[in-house]
Amino acid sequence: MTDDVLLACSDIHAGYGRVPVLRGVNVVVHTGHFVSLIGPNGAGKSTVLKAITGYARLQSGTVTLAGTPITGLRADRLVPLGLSYVPQGRIVFGEMTVHENLEMGAFTVTNDRVRADAFAHVYDLFPRLAERRTQLAGTMSGGEQQMVAIARGLMIRPRIMLLDEPSLGLAPRFVQIVFETLRMLKAEGLSMLVVEQNAAQALAIADHAYLLELGRNRLEGTGTELLENPETRRLYLGD
Amino acid sequence: MVTYLQVIISGLLLGGVYALLAGGLTLIFGVMRVINLAHGEFLMLGAYASYYLFMRLGLNPIVSLLLTLPLMFLIGWVAQRFLVTRVVRAPLLTSLLLTYGVSLALTGGAQALFTNDFRSVPFMSGAVNVGELALSIPRLVACGIALVLTAAAQYFLVRTRWGKALRATSQSADVALACGIDIDRARTLAFAIAVALAGAAGTLTSFLYTVYPEMGRTFMLKAFAVIVLGGMGSFPGAFLGALALGVIESTAGYLTTTQVAEAVIYVTLLGMLLLRPQGFFGLKEA
Repeated sequence: MTDDVLLACSDIHAGYGRVPVLRGVNVVVHTGHFVSLIGPNGAGKSTVLKAITGYARLQSGTVTLAGTPITGLRADRLVPLGLSYVPQGRIVFGEMTVHENLEMGAFTVTNDRVRADAFAHVYDLFPRLAERRTQLAGTMSGGEQQMVAIARGLMIRPRIMLLDEPSLGLAPRFVQIVFETLRMLKAEGLSMLVVEQNAAQALAIADHAYLLELGRNRLEGTGTELLENPETRRLYLGD
Repeated sequence: MVTYLQVIISGLLLGGVYALLAGGLTLIFGVMRVINLAHGEFLMLGAYASYYLFMRLGLNPIVSLLLTLPLMFLIGWVAQRFLVTRVVRAPLLTSLLLTYGVSLALTGGAQALFTNDFRSVPFMSGAVNVGELALSIPRLVACGIALVLTAAAQYFLVRTRWGKALRATSQSADVALACGIDIDRARTLAFAIAVALAGAAGTLTSFLYTVYPEMGRTFMLKAFAVIVLGGMGSFPGAFLGALALGVIESTAGYLTTTQVAEAVIYVTLLGMLLLRPQGFFGLKEA
């Protein structure tokens, strides 16, 4: 492995209770890369993220972050290591304001100056959230809630961000906004591992991508390679 | 007219103490979806603590509060770390059985240690006259302290880093975890604060009512009614619900008899469950 491997999952088997979902998955994210995980429903895309963050039970395999083993660590232990996870379903703290949601994102950031910088950075990226900082997050539209969820994940200035289906269930206009946001974060140099059912768009941004099927790696390559692969096109892009 | 005003005020004074008990109960429910059936017994422990500190060391209940609050906080911390934490993710019935077991053990333990004698703390009496109103001094003092503690707890929840973390955990434990919040610690903190508030409610009731091992039961039922009024999981809701219940109880007691007043409380509870089960300010997804 080269030095710039940031996140590596090797031969992970994971599931919920006794039900196995992943049966030997390998995923590598290099520093600064945007990596997409695509595949049909039930392929185990989301479970990869959950296995990394401790929400799903890891049966075997290893996960490392910048060479340090993080196998089986719970999400709250990963945050101080610079790993941020934005779960599926644009879940916000609905009875808290936008600003309080971001404060919770910065829960582990105790240095006041670093905290202030994080707020400035995030409000700069999302002017809409700056305008609505006192609004209760639960009263916002789905697309805006997804912005809050992503912004919350950025508050620790993460080394890597894991996003689970960020465009799922959003109106088309907001799907575009989400992908624009992801492009913007990529341009800032943020390393990302993104699970998406919107394969065409996810592959178009990706430096590298994995196609999973039935809990195993099926194909991998650059975003363009997978986009042009006849099998991907046949199976998931509806050609 | 004056009499009726008097009745309402005495109801509000009563409500302050209910708020302490119900606020903790609702906090525990909010943060871990556990209904703590032993909550009334923590009130009973607080009452005995202030009784013995008064009788043996001559500490008046207001002073002894400075000892019972941290003591009860510690008891709550230990109870959560060693018992309740095991059932947080379990089905509701499991946690009900566990906390009911704790309730029985504490009541039985108190009967063995303190006997079934009725006790009281002879501290403060009399009334202060405001115009034509006569307000009971012990009740005024108890309600005043209850308000200060409720306000302090509310300040903690709304303004401080860990207070916000408790609210976040109560809204979504999974996302709180993803924010780096140690949710086990948040839960332990919530339980310890709730038990400390219950203990304080016990201290306040020790000089208003009689102290005996089973005293927690009555208060517990009232705390349930308060939470049904205010909404499960809402701390400000519990406060308003407590005031409402105090007024309902005292009005019903004035118009009829104390026994009928008890019945009115539970009829109110049933009515609220039928008409507005989420209470004034309940958690939506609960």
